[in-house]
Amino acid sequence: MGLFLVLLGWFSVLIFVVAAAYKIVRLAAQPLHLRWELYPVAHEPNHYGGSYMEEVDYASKPRHTVLLNELKELLAEVFYLKRVREYNRFGIWPFALAMHWGIYFFFFWLFLLLIEEVFDLYFTSFSLFANIFGVGSFFLGALGALGLIIKRAGSAGLKLYTTPVDYFNLFFLLSIFGTALLSWINDPRLIFPRVYIDGVLFLQAPDVPLPVLLNFLLFELFLIYMPFTKLLHYAAKFFTFHKVLWDDGLNTKGSPIDKKITAQLAYRVTWAAPHIVPGKTWAEQVQIADGREVQNE
Amino acid sequence: MSKKIFKEMSRLDDQPLISLTVDELMTVPHLGKEEPMVSPPEKWTNNYEFCFDEHTPLGLPKPESREEEDEFVKKFLSGLQKLLDPRNNWTFLQILRLSLDYCMHCQTCSDACHVYLGSGQQEIYRPTFRAEVLRKIYKKFFTPEGRLLGGFVGADLEVNYKTLVRLLESAYRCTLCRRCALMCPVGLDNGLIAREIRKLFSQEMGIAPPEIHEKGCVTQLKVGSSTGMNPLAFKDTIEFIEDDIFERTERKIKLPVDKKGADILLIHNAGEYLAWPENPGAFAVLFDAAGINYTLSSEAVGYDAVNYGAWYDDVELARIVLRHTLIARDLGVKKIVIGECGHATKAYVVVADRVLTGELSSSEIPRESCLPLLWEIVRRGAVKFDPARNNFPVTLHDPCNMVRLMGLVEPQRRVLRKLCPQFREMNPHGVHNYCCGGGSGFAVIQSFNFPQWRNKVGTRMKMKQILSAFGDVLDPAVPKYVAAPCSNCKGAIRDALAHYALWTRYQILYGGIVELMVNAMADLPRPFIEWEFH
Repeated sequence: MGLFLVLLGWFSVLIFVVAAAYKIVRLAAQPLHLRWELYPVAHEPNHYGGSYMEEVDYASKPRHTVLLNELKELLAEVFYLKRVREYNRFGIWPFALAMHWGIYFFFFWLFLLLIEEVFDLYFTSFSLFANIFGVGSFFLGALGALGLIIKRAGSAGLKLYTTPVDYFNLFFLLSIFGTALLSWINDPRLIFPRVYIDGVLFLQAPDVPLPVLLNFLLFELFLIYMPFTKLLHYAAKFFTFHKVLWDDGLNTKGSPIDKKITAQLAYRVTWAAPHIVPGKTWAEQVQIADGREVQNE
Repeated sequence: MSKKIFKEMSRLDDQPLISLTVDELMTVPHLGKEEPMVSPPEKWTNNYEFCFDEHTPLGLPKPESREEEDEFVKKFLSGLQKLLDPRNNWTFLQILRLSLDYCMHCQTCSDACHVYLGSGQQEIYRPTFRAEVLRKIYKKFFTPEGRLLGGFVGADLEVNYKTLVRLLESAYRCTLCRRCALMCPVGLDNGLIAREIRKLFSQEMGIAPPEIHEKGCVTQLKVGSSTGMNPLAFKDTIEFIEDDIFERTERKIKLPVDKKGADILLIHNAGEYLAWPENPGAFAVLFDAAGINYTLSSEAVGYDAVNYGAWYDDVELARIVLRHTLIARDLGVKKIVIGECGHATKAYVVVADRVLTGELSSSEIPRESCLPLLWEIVRRGAVKFDPARNNFPVTLHDPCNMVRLMGLVEPQRRVLRKLCPQFREMNPHGVHNYCCGGGSGFAVIQSFNFPQWRNKVGTRMKMKQILSAFGDVLDPAVPKYVAAPCSNCKGAIRDALAHYALWTRYQILYGGIVELMVNAMADLPRPFIEWEFH
């Protein structure tokens, strides 16, 4: 059992990193899509949602973009859940925010514990600092997950669209934060989580109480599970915003976009509707006025 | 609301999921008593599918056999597979995949939709509803977790012929305004999902509303215009407009057609020539006064900017933009400017930017909206205007395609602020505007009882906004003007104003921006705008 826990600790991190990276690479490897931006586009300097296309002869004028605005907007979304705050009518924002901050703090807490371990900072003010994030994480995460479960079960508009796996994800998170809270109640200075991490790091079977054991076991399983689910939406957001909604890059002759599109126009189409001629490339397809005429020839 | 509504999507009988009544719809102050909803006659319901909400823009004939139904399902699934294939759907695959895989079911987008709100919050019009139906099917047939875990991951929908008919119908209750996408915390696009559903049915099964496909794109590519106007008829129309300009302005203006080497190829939505000829006429008066070197084209397709492919079919979209661009290249113009038409502008300037490559790319043959040019004419004082001529209440409708989907927010406002002393905004406006209800083809679809749905539900929010913007001047003695720089928006607003008798009751007229500009031209003998509803 001890060795299993050690191996699972390393394995879960490995799976999390490799699987998330694989999924992200797959998302990035999709073909270049047609332009489908939506305004306001964050890097546009016009705060009201205007674009460079508001200028006469925009194609021959220099572009002014503020990339920092993209970062600001993404940070507002990640750390404040801006759109949920502004537009959600089901009152989920405080709980969603608490749960997200619970997760951020949890990861940060583990990071601090690693620092503490590596630099041998046990029982210093650094430990106290780490514990604040740990305990904060347990409370915020548990409150958020529980609140969201209640909201989803109690509101008809949310309940209708909530699938069993949505509840499962929330209960999964609640169980992680709940067991963490339980371990904290029995161990206010959070000594045993440090023992656990020490054991995993140095390949020694950790001897810790059951709540701590359960807490880390659940967290490690969560690390393995997360990249294969929509919980990876934190990474998907980069693509939905940066690569889709804010992708207003103009195509110019000979540019990388031009080359990519030219290559994609050589893909063969197998759509079967009468106005399309299957087997022809996109470039050939668009020369035809109506596939039915070609097929009748 | 129980999970029943999703199960009902698969009901095998002909009963619609809802039967709308006007009492359930969103309340609109000053709208007055309205005509009740009329159910479709039996001769329709016996022969065509009305099983979604008792309305249809498609008129899908009922299948004659079980085999036909099974074939329908088979073809749909084959189409869905192609939607997920990088070669068949490189155009939108990444966006579709993201939107299918990462919805957190937070319902933040719910209140974004004018159809959902206008209908009195009917569940089947919620932006997430149709998207969720597609997600359920996608998970069930195309994901390992769906095949393995079924209902646990939401892959719990029975997929039969009726499910798919209802899904198809639901895709034509979204105007693709993408206001929901603006509000999604993950940046997903349920509007795109509606378009992809439409695309699947069109590109794989040849199913689309006749006004959009057969009478729309196909007619445009074969005859020259979705209106059915061929090049000869176009030239006659130009002569008529020249006469009309003379009657209105006492100016003899010859509209330039096929002028090689002009600075600008101006392409209008051909619907303007037939429904609102004063709009291309006003462009001619203004451009003549401003000394702009432009031309129209009399080549088939070259005089009709519309691109209905933008709403349902990538192949048709690409075919039309290619023809427009080849015509511009042959004329040797420096750039193309699209008249007051939202979808055509977005399709050509934005979406087609990654269809046209090399010699035809945006850097070689630039494409622009007319709105920045209109403001430029005012800004540089090329024409003398007298704003006192426009001293009546004016409000502005923001066409989604130009504003939220292109970022063309300010030029038209600057024109109105300068030339219309009583200009007032609708609320909300700009990128947060509500769709007119005519977007994505709804304005041109006249089949069966779809116009009833559009007028009662689709345009309801816009009517509320218009009445609210003019709330302090509803007195019919005060003429009022809704400026809508888009043909489809004008069509939808015209039909709704007529449906609710808002012209006769409140003297609310609608029209383009350019008519207001010409109306304000100081040296014209009389007002250009004729206060007649048409």
